[in-house]
Amino acid sequence: MASIKAKIYRFNPGKDDKPYFDDYEVSTDRPLTIHELLTVIHKDHDGTLAYRQFKCYKGMCTTCMVKLDGKVVKGCATRVEPGSAIKLEPAAGGEVVRDLVVDFKAM
Amino acid sequence: MDVKKLTTDVVVVGGGGAACRAAIEVSEKGLDCIMLDKGRPGRSGATPCALWSIQAPFGAQGRDERDSPDQFFEDMVKAGRFIGDQNITEVVAYTAVERILDMEKYGVNFQKYDDGRFFQTPMPGQTYPRSCFMIENGQHMSTVLAKEASRRDNIKIFKDFFVFGILKNGDTVVGVVGMDMIKGEMVAVNAKSTIVAAGGYTSLWGFSDNPPTLTGDLLSGAYRAGADIVDLEFNQYYGTDVIWPPSVKGTVVLYELMIDEFADGEITDKDGKPIIDKPLPIRDEAIKTIFNVIREGRGTPHGGVYFDTTKSPKGEKGVREVFDGMTQKHYRFLIDAAGIDLAKTPLEVAPASHYQCGGLYVNERGQSSVDGLYGCGEFAGNFQGANRLAGSALCDTQTTGARVGASAADDAGQRGMTAIDGRDLKEKTDMALGFLEKKSGSIRPINVKQEILKTMDEYIAPYRDEKGLNKGLSILAGLRDEMKKVSVPDIGIYNLELREAIEANLMLDAAELTFGSALFRKESRGHHNRTDYPDTDDKQWRCHTIATLDGEKPAYSKRDVIYTRLKPQDAS
Repeated sequence: MASIKAKIYRFNPGKDDKPYFDDYEVSTDRPLTIHELLTVIHKDHDGTLAYRQFKCYKGMCTTCMVKLDGKVVKGCATRVEPGSAIKLEPAAGGEVVRDLVVDFKAM
Repeated sequence: MDVKKLTTDVVVVGGGGAACRAAIEVSEKGLDCIMLDKGRPGRSGATPCALWSIQAPFGAQGRDERDSPDQFFEDMVKAGRFIGDQNITEVVAYTAVERILDMEKYGVNFQKYDDGRFFQTPMPGQTYPRSCFMIENGQHMSTVLAKEASRRDNIKIFKDFFVFGILKNGDTVVGVVGMDMIKGEMVAVNAKSTIVAAGGYTSLWGFSDNPPTLTGDLLSGAYRAGADIVDLEFNQYYGTDVIWPPSVKGTVVLYELMIDEFADGEITDKDGKPIIDKPLPIRDEAIKTIFNVIREGRGTPHGGVYFDTTKSPKGEKGVREVFDGMTQKHYRFLIDAAGIDLAKTPLEVAPASHYQCGGLYVNERGQSSVDGLYGCGEFAGNFQGANRLAGSALCDTQTTGARVGASAADDAGQRGMTAIDGRDLKEKTDMALGFLEKKSGSIRPINVKQEILKTMDEYIAPYRDEKGLNKGLSILAGLRDEMKKVSVPDIGIYNLELREAIEANLMLDAAELTFGSALFRKESRGHHNRTDYPDTDDKQWRCHTIATLDGEKPAYSKRDVIYTRLKPQDAS
């Protein structure tokens, strides 16, 4: 089976001096959205990774925003093909709470 | 761990349509309010997931001058199969128009005719077209209300705040306790009135069209605080939610748009044979049909039916115009997230958990059976009855939200503050913090959570029976034992697994009460369908199901329905 390799930003302001990256590999033969990828990682790989679980099911709420290979995208509506290697970092727009969770300033 | 303490006149748990509207009303009355949202205000809960439809009987100021609050009232009562409490239905039917006008004042945009009348769409169960059209749907409504709440100095909003307990001192509810996820702190809020507008608990089911955060945390809290819980067996599914692929599982595609006026498509079995006649039935009927087709083995590869617009006489372009016009965000989301254009491809859909008709038992002021505790919106339980109409949920958030906000504020103005009972607070924080203890042979909370979801999907489906319900209850009892083995790392900030562990614990209450209520009611009515009791039994069961904490276990009983304007014997 193919897989998606993801390098994901980790930072706990309460415990870490500075941010670092963790490597994850998720087996899949079909494309996954970033939100789905993070859900699989939480369930099967690492429960400590912080990300926003909320979904609005229609690509509107912007809570899933994440930086994919340097560009801010909607996590729920952006597909990643099997065989890809990606880098995920927190989106801009507020302070990093932990890992990929941002305290967005905009209401 | 130290527990931070806050004090206010009225605390509102929630952040969606009902919570914001209640908080705004408290603010209007000049009292202080703290609102605690599990996520980001305006971008959490079910309200942002909603589409355009919000009912209000505008009559001559809308699409059809024959419509009226009386007609809206009658439609709701009949849809509810005569077990909705009419003292509360009156609040909804008779204040809906004013509340829509409030929403407009705050900044929500409604589709209108050139002469300024409100455009309204027909939806099943409405005698006259009554669904007002919010141009930017539930997401816009949520952000507008959240912004209105946040601009008021006497409303303080906390985001990413997970409430996991309702605090009592003697017989009075005195506030809530929760975890500020951003700071990683335990916080108790002491208030004169506590309003819970935390929504339903659709995410107790594995297949749901609501966000995964709706796990019934406060239903457990209210039950444990001794409040009467009502009609939990009436679980509304939405019949046509996308079931494949997983990235878009749970996205709503409106079967209501299949009528001739709109897309003129068909809901079909795996062979393309249409399964629902037009005019389209109301939700509980449509769901039963779809569910049966799947059960009989005529379903699609991933366990659904087809939502098929490809043979519509309107053609691909005509169909695209309908979906791009009415539900643009959903239409485009399916293309972006799954590569599916529903104007060109049949979509696999199935009934998913959508809304809870039952919940906290309240009066028309939103007061529960426990002093100091109020409920509104989807969290309140005894006015929808056995089935709710399209467009009524959003309407409820504003009508009951405003009314209950006012009542809770008036009462807070009349009473003094009762302090938090330290022992009660400690018992609740101990429960939460206990999951941080290291245990040998420990398990992750997600293991228990997934089993709860699976059990709900399997045994509290649109159709239930005694055997399945008892099996479900025994599985849940086993899971309660499993919870003792749950242990999570102490991350400090935004500890998702700690939240998950507490959620799983509270979900077991909501699940047990749902199973117990479904077992108690030996008939079929609206959204509660017992294959072993397939008939509606008005003689024995035209009443509420009440669940209350009795010692350590729930006790179930019947309670009369409150009829005001329309008694069952007078209905045509």
